Formats: sequence, C-alpha cells, structure tokens
Amino acid sequence: MADRSGQSVTDTIGQGVTINKSGETGAFGGEILTVNFGPHHPSTHGVLRLIVDLDGEQVRSLKPVIGYLHTGIEKQMEALRWQQGVVVTDRHDYLSPPINNLAYALAVERLLGVEVPPRAQALRVIMSELTRLASHLVWMGTSGLELGAMSMLMYCFRERDTIMDLNEEISGFRMHTSYIRPGGVFADATPRFLEMLDRFVNTMPSNIDEYEALLTNNPIWRSRTIGVGRLSADDAKVLGATGPMLRGSGVAWDLRKAIPYTGYESYDFEIATSDLCDCYGRYLVRIKEMRQAVKILRQALDRLPDGPVNIDDRKVLPPPREELETSMEAVIHHFKLFTEGYSVPPGDVYVAVESGRGENGCYIVSDGTHKPRRVKFRSASFVNLQALERMALNHMVADMIAIIGTADAVLGDCDR
Amino acid sequence: MIPETLIVERGVSGGDQWVTVGPADVHDALAALRDEGYRLLVFLTCVDHLVDSSRKWPARYEVVYQLRNMDTLEQLRVRAFVDGDPPRIDSVSDLFPPANWDERETYDLFGVVFNGHPELTRILMPDDWVGHPLRRDYPVGGEVVEFSEEHEAWQTAPDKA
Repeated sequence: MADRSGQSVTDTIGQGVTINKSGETGAFGGEILTVNFGPHHPSTHGVLRLIVDLDGEQVRSLKPVIGYLHTGIEKQMEALRWQQGVVVTDRHDYLSPPINNLAYALAVERLLGVEVPPRAQALRVIMSELTRLASHLVWMGTSGLELGAMSMLMYCFRERDTIMDLNEEISGFRMHTSYIRPGGVFADATPRFLEMLDRFVNTMPSNIDEYEALLTNNPIWRSRTIGVGRLSADDAKVLGATGPMLRGSGVAWDLRKAIPYTGYESYDFEIATSDLCDCYGRYLVRIKEMRQAVKILRQALDRLPDGPVNIDDRKVLPPPREELETSMEAVIHHFKLFTEGYSVPPGDVYVAVESGRGENGCYIVSDGTHKPRRVKFRSASFVNLQALERMALNHMVADMIAIIGTADAVLGDCDR
Repeated sequence: MIPETLIVERGVSGGDQWVTVGPADVHDALAALRDEGYRLLVFLTCVDHLVDSSRKWPARYEVVYQLRNMDTLEQLRVRAFVDGDPPRIDSVSDLFPPANWDERETYDLFGVVFNGHPELTRILMPDDWVGHPLRRDYPVGGEVVEFSEEHEAWQTAPDKA
C-alpha cells in the first residue's frame, strides 16, 4: 500500500503482520502507534507475540503471532512407534499431560478396536480431573498475579503441589506422567495414592472456598474483569471457541456430556456456565468446574471398580515381569513389542476430549505399519487465540492482559 | 446434505463418518454442510500419502475437514485429494473463521496453497524457512542447527537429504 507521494505506508514484517505507518491520528489526537508486545513477556503465558495498534491506550487492532514454541511434535510422532508416541503427547499442552495422553490412547484404541477394563477407565477419569484441577490452579494463580492478586499464586500452587505429589505416587513423574497409554494405564493405583487422593478430595472444597474468598468479591479483581473482554455466545460459536471460553459465554457445551468418553456418562456432574460473557464469567466457570471436578473425583474414588487396569492383549502391551522368567512365549512377545512394536489397522479416526482449555483432540491416520502415518492434535489454544482480537478490541492495554489471561492459552499446545 | 453429485466416495473409519469430494467441489460441499447445521469446523489438516501402500490413493495429498453439528452432535469428515506442485485447493476461511489459521498451518507444514485465503503466510515456522516440514520426504533431523560445533555436518538441505 502506498500514499500519494509514493511512499509506503505499510510495512510487512513477515508472519502475516503488517505495520501501519500512515501517520493517521486517533480519537485522542495522537498518532496511531504500532506496538510489539512479547513474545518474551510474563503475562503472555508462554511466548505469545502480539502486534497491537494503539490509539492512546486503546487497542485498535490486535494481531497474535505464534510459532515461538513450535517443536515439531507431529513430525516426531511419525518417527516413533505407536507406544512411544505417548511420551510426546505429554509435552504439547504441558499443563494437562494425562488429558493429552487420553486423547491419543482413545484414538489408537478406537482403531485397534479394543476397550479398556472398568478400573482403567475410572483411573483415567481420576487423572483427567486431577489434571483439570491442576491446570485451572495454574491459570488462577498466574492470572491473579497479573491482575494484582499476588497471594493467589501461593494458594494455588500449594494445592497444585499436592496434585504433583499424587502424579508422582501413581506414575513416578510429577509433570509429564505418560500415565494413560493405549491399552490401559501405566500401573494400578497404590493404596497410598488412594489414601492421598481421599485426603485431597476432602480438603479441596474448603481450599476452593479460600480462593473464592480472595477473588470473587474482591473489588479490584471485579473491576479488572467485569465487562472486560466480552465475547457473545454467537461470536464464540462462530469463532470455534471451546472450553471455558465458550461456557463463559453461556453455551452449555462440554464434550464430557455431549460426546462422552471413558465412562463420563456414568458420573453425576453439571456443566459450569456463566452468562456474563466476560473475563469474570470465565473465572466463575473455572471455579465451578473445579468444584465439579472434586465431585467427579469423589464419585470415582467411592466406586472404583476392582480388576485389571490393562487389556489382556500381549500384542499391544508387554507381559508382566514375573512371566518373563518362566514363559518362552512371554519373552517372544516382549521382544517383538520392544523391537518392532505393534501395527494398527489402516484407517483414520478423530477423538476429542475436554481439557482444561477446551476441545483437545487427536486425529490419527494409520497406514497399517508400526508407526503412525499422521498424528494431528486439535488444540483448543490454537483456535481460542483467534478470538483474542474480537475480545480485546477498544479495550485498554491493561485490560488486554486480563483478556489474554482468561483466554488461558498454553502456547506449547498452540504451537505444538 | 451435500448434493449426491459432489460425493465421490463415502465410508466409516473407526466409527467416524466420512465423505470424499472432488477437490474443486470442497467449497460448495462445505457451504452446503454449514447451511445444514454443521457450523463448527473442528479442524482442518492434510495427510501426505507418499509411498503409502495401505490402499490405492487418488492423489498424494489428502486435505481433511472435520465438521460437527453442535445441535445434533453429528460429525462428518470431508476429504479431498489434491496433487500438483504446489497442490492447490479452495479456501474455506470465508465459511468458517477458524479455518484461517488452520489453512495457514497446513500451507506452512505441507505447502498446500489455499486459493482465496486472505493472507496465506507461514504461521509456525519462521518466514525464511525452506521446505514444508510435515511432508513425508522432509527428513527428521536435517535442519540447520545454529551455533553448533558440527554446524557443517548438520547442514543438509531438505532437497538433498
């Protein structure tokens, strides 16, 4: 684009970003200023870069630039065998590893045509809900920090650490658990885990009350979030937003209810929604979701079925360690599985699960070999970030922080 | 439903319904489906069928659109096969706003050009990147590693590897 003197008034700096140098004057008499925000900025929750056109302090246009955390996870998956891929799924949305594992495991199981035993399903639900709690806790702690509620981080990370301890107890890892695998779970829950979980579920409601006491009626928190970043239900639907972004706009859509997986249909819980359509509404949705997660955990714990936690198929899962010493067949299965892996029948399948951020899905294509032909992760952050401009338009720069915060994008998930 | 004349093939895979349409009919087919209630484009991606002997593929690149009707909970996968260098297909970002970034990603990683996309640029890889990493003939580990002591050894251009 050029003005009359032939001088360029826009400058394309790559990644689809154009800087406006027209010298246009805004409503406040000042020049419209293009400002680069991020990528290395604490309030972008990772490395998100925004190109913002400012009129005074008002946002006139906002352009997210992503890709700074692209690690080629989908490419790596194609080079790994089916059972090895689980480890990689942990690492794209690093705040909800078991939920990513679950999407991948369910997709592989659908193509293999197997179903895991009831105890494995219940353990999967337990891990998913613990992860949802941990993810919301990180969100609340960091968003509180950004909007001036410094102590939130201390309170939230206190409980998150308990969840990390639970992860460690059941899988040996605190963060990237790789606990849920095609064919079942890594190992059965130990008695100590169930004891710890019971204690956690008993204390968590009073902890959520504490968070609410700090934020829900806090005048600063309310003035920073109420009426900020409005997203109407229609806009949210059109923009493809999912998760608390959609439910915060009053749409009762939750994949756990709509398209139930891993036995969620048998649990009694409600879809958390809020009609406020703003940042405060999204906060209320997450608080309600945490209470519902505790409710699901209590039910799962009370009626945890007995039985195996893995499918009985030696072609997919290795035999128990003690069998290797006595059975030649077990040794052969073990050898085949760890040298060649198993092959999945040709076909493609898409499985979606509800993560803390929205719909995280896994689309896998098998060509019948022992490695995937294509693994695609549908990430909620990637889609939700596209609604950022709609929400932040005509808001102040400071409000933009609240809006990025409540969009709760994990950039690792967004860039994969 | 999509006019039957547009459908080349239909089937079920792993419990998911899918239809194949001709590459030139994608925009029409998706517009018909959207008007019928499939308002959410869950994702859009591409699969590279280079040296894939699991069946006979009409073309190397398969562009996949996963659609969902949020009222009836029906899901449908629309597939279109494209060939060529670069492969070209019509953009659907005017029908489904979320397709904007998905198409940029598919262009970035597979080199599929979406006709009519408002700004088809790279989104995940740097702008000066050579090649499209998710193509099956793009090697893993062949990228240039800056500041490495074995810089020369790592420097294998994707077209030579």
